[in-house]
Amino acid sequence: MTVERTVTIVPEAGLHARPASAFVQAVNDHEAEVSAGRPDGDLVQAASMIAVTSLGVGQGDDIKLVADGPDAEAVLDELERILTTPEGELDTDDG
Amino acid sequence: MAERTLHGTGATPRSGVGTVVWYGRDISLPDPDDVEVEPEPESQRFADAVDTARAELESEREATAERVGEDEAAVFDAHIQFLEDPTIEEAVETMIGEGHPAPNAVDAAFGDHIEQFEGMDGRMAERADDLRDVRDRLLRLLTDGERVDLGDLPDGSVVLAERLTPSDTAQLDPERVAGFATVTGGRTSHASIFARSLALPAVVGVGEALDTVEDGTAVVIDGDSGEVLVAPDDSERAAAASDSGAAVVDASVETTDGRHVEVAANIGQPAELKPTVDRGADGVGLYRTEFLFLDRETPPSEDEQYEAIRETLDMFPDGRVVVRTLDIGGDKQIPYLDQPDEENPFLGERGIRRSLDPDSDLFATQLRALLRAASDGAGDLAIMFPMVATVTELDAALDALDTAAADIEECDADAVDVEVGVMIETPSAAFMAGELAARVDFLSLGTNDLTQYVMAADRENERVGDLHDPTHPGVLRAIHQTVTAAHAEDAWVGMCGEMAGDPDLTELLVGLGLDELSMSAVTIPEVKTAVRDTEYNTASERADRARLAATRSEVHTTLDT
Repeated sequence: MTVERTVTIVPEAGLHARPASAFVQAVNDHEAEVSAGRPDGDLVQAASMIAVTSLGVGQGDDIKLVADGPDAEAVLDELERILTTPEGELDTDDG
Repeated sequence: MAERTLHGTGATPRSGVGTVVWYGRDISLPDPDDVEVEPEPESQRFADAVDTARAELESEREATAERVGEDEAAVFDAHIQFLEDPTIEEAVETMIGEGHPAPNAVDAAFGDHIEQFEGMDGRMAERADDLRDVRDRLLRLLTDGERVDLGDLPDGSVVLAERLTPSDTAQLDPERVAGFATVTGGRTSHASIFARSLALPAVVGVGEALDTVEDGTAVVIDGDSGEVLVAPDDSERAAAASDSGAAVVDASVETTDGRHVEVAANIGQPAELKPTVDRGADGVGLYRTEFLFLDRETPPSEDEQYEAIRETLDMFPDGRVVVRTLDIGGDKQIPYLDQPDEENPFLGERGIRRSLDPDSDLFATQLRALLRAASDGAGDLAIMFPMVATVTELDAALDALDTAAADIEECDADAVDVEVGVMIETPSAAFMAGELAARVDFLSLGTNDLTQYVMAADRENERVGDLHDPTHPGVLRAIHQTVTAAHAEDAWVGMCGEMAGDPDLTELLVGLGLDELSMSAVTIPEVKTAVRDTEYNTASERADRARLAATRSEVHTTLDT
């Protein structure tokens, strides 16, 4: 199943530092293949920290997410939560 | 005479002398023409190196979280993800399959991305540093490089490096390392900030001239002037060894005419405690309890808080530890507390406002922990309430303290006698200083926020940076009014803002009547020395002229003459 969603980035750091770490971690914790990119641009592998940070998306930018796999909806829900939670309020899963 | 002097940027006003240990220039890649590569074992070697690197990063993450703080440790999460990045892995595997040795494949796979990030600015350029850190770690494991173990250096080592990453600096033990110098870096780079928080002599941004300094050479690191003296003579050596910026003064200090001034430290995380004692602090003038609450899922328990405060009190058996109750809001966010989005968070629900409501349970727990620690710990505890604007708020906080004391007495704890104080950060608190002081033992001026509110100038906004200066007469008058009103009520007055740690302002502050100055560890010896050089009567006259000046430049003229 392929699902697609566009999310506006809330954290101040954009897709960097802790939000980027949490984002990539969430992708790796799911089975679905996820790609991400600017709505009008090419999509990159969302499991790659390098690819994700190279997108250079900042606070207020839109990012398109495409997921393909059995838990596609679930991974997009989790990614949306990470991308719309202000910095400092994000639960980190390593506690 | 020194053979040579190299110039860079001083990161800490402190000097150290030691023996050079070069770090991180011992990686050489194999010549691909000289080595036969069998793809399968080579690929296994790469996979093993990734596993080892991950284990190293995880244990360094843990050590950093413990010694420095959770924020600093978070960088390791990003490093682990770069390490396991599928694009890197694919590129490395492809090259190994084509017959390249693993180290060369790693170097090439990271190289392109490092270059790409380097060309960008800000956060992106920092990612280049992260990638370099991860690459070098893998290369060391793959080339069996005899890399210097930063966590196990001989006493009196001075570390020289191209650059020091966050994971490098976290391993440096200030007990054993005499200082460091780097080719690249500036005053605000991670390594510089780290050096300041641990009072470690450091010079950054020396440039390529540093490369010519050989392992085993004696050097002086002068973190004040930003100089590295190569092969110093005996007198330069002795000066650096004894006079680390200013000699540490262990005794309490007074002015030439006998007025005692307490010189204490501001503490923001446990790693700062030991350097504080080493730098001769009389006690702790500001212990920020926020670090106990940040970066976790749930609030710390009463026992956890008790242990942390108790440990600090035991480190200052003859001193006083002023603990500020939880001060969140403004720029500080705590994930498990429901903090509203506010139009003006600095003028919103922060400090004591939150502790009275909605965080009153958290406040009660903290007060019980503090009182229990006070009854068991060696040093004297003082409790300080942040961001008070009204007498009503103070009365409510004092009621909460009474309730906490009654609670622990029921649990059979010894009755404890602690000093209680208020932080003066709002113009209202400065105007009401007399009424506040009548109810407590001391006041402490938080000049960073007080300046921001008196001048109506955001601390973080560079466009109004000129206004954010505590030497404006408006701020000096607020300080003077606070001190005078408090002394009339027999309360003592301290200062725990940045201003307190500037030795050039010590005479002014003593002249304004401050009884205590509290600062980050690094400038304690300089300020103690400045107090000893001050004559109170002269200082008091000059302070009067300064505060009665009309402009900041007139204030500065007064101070310079």
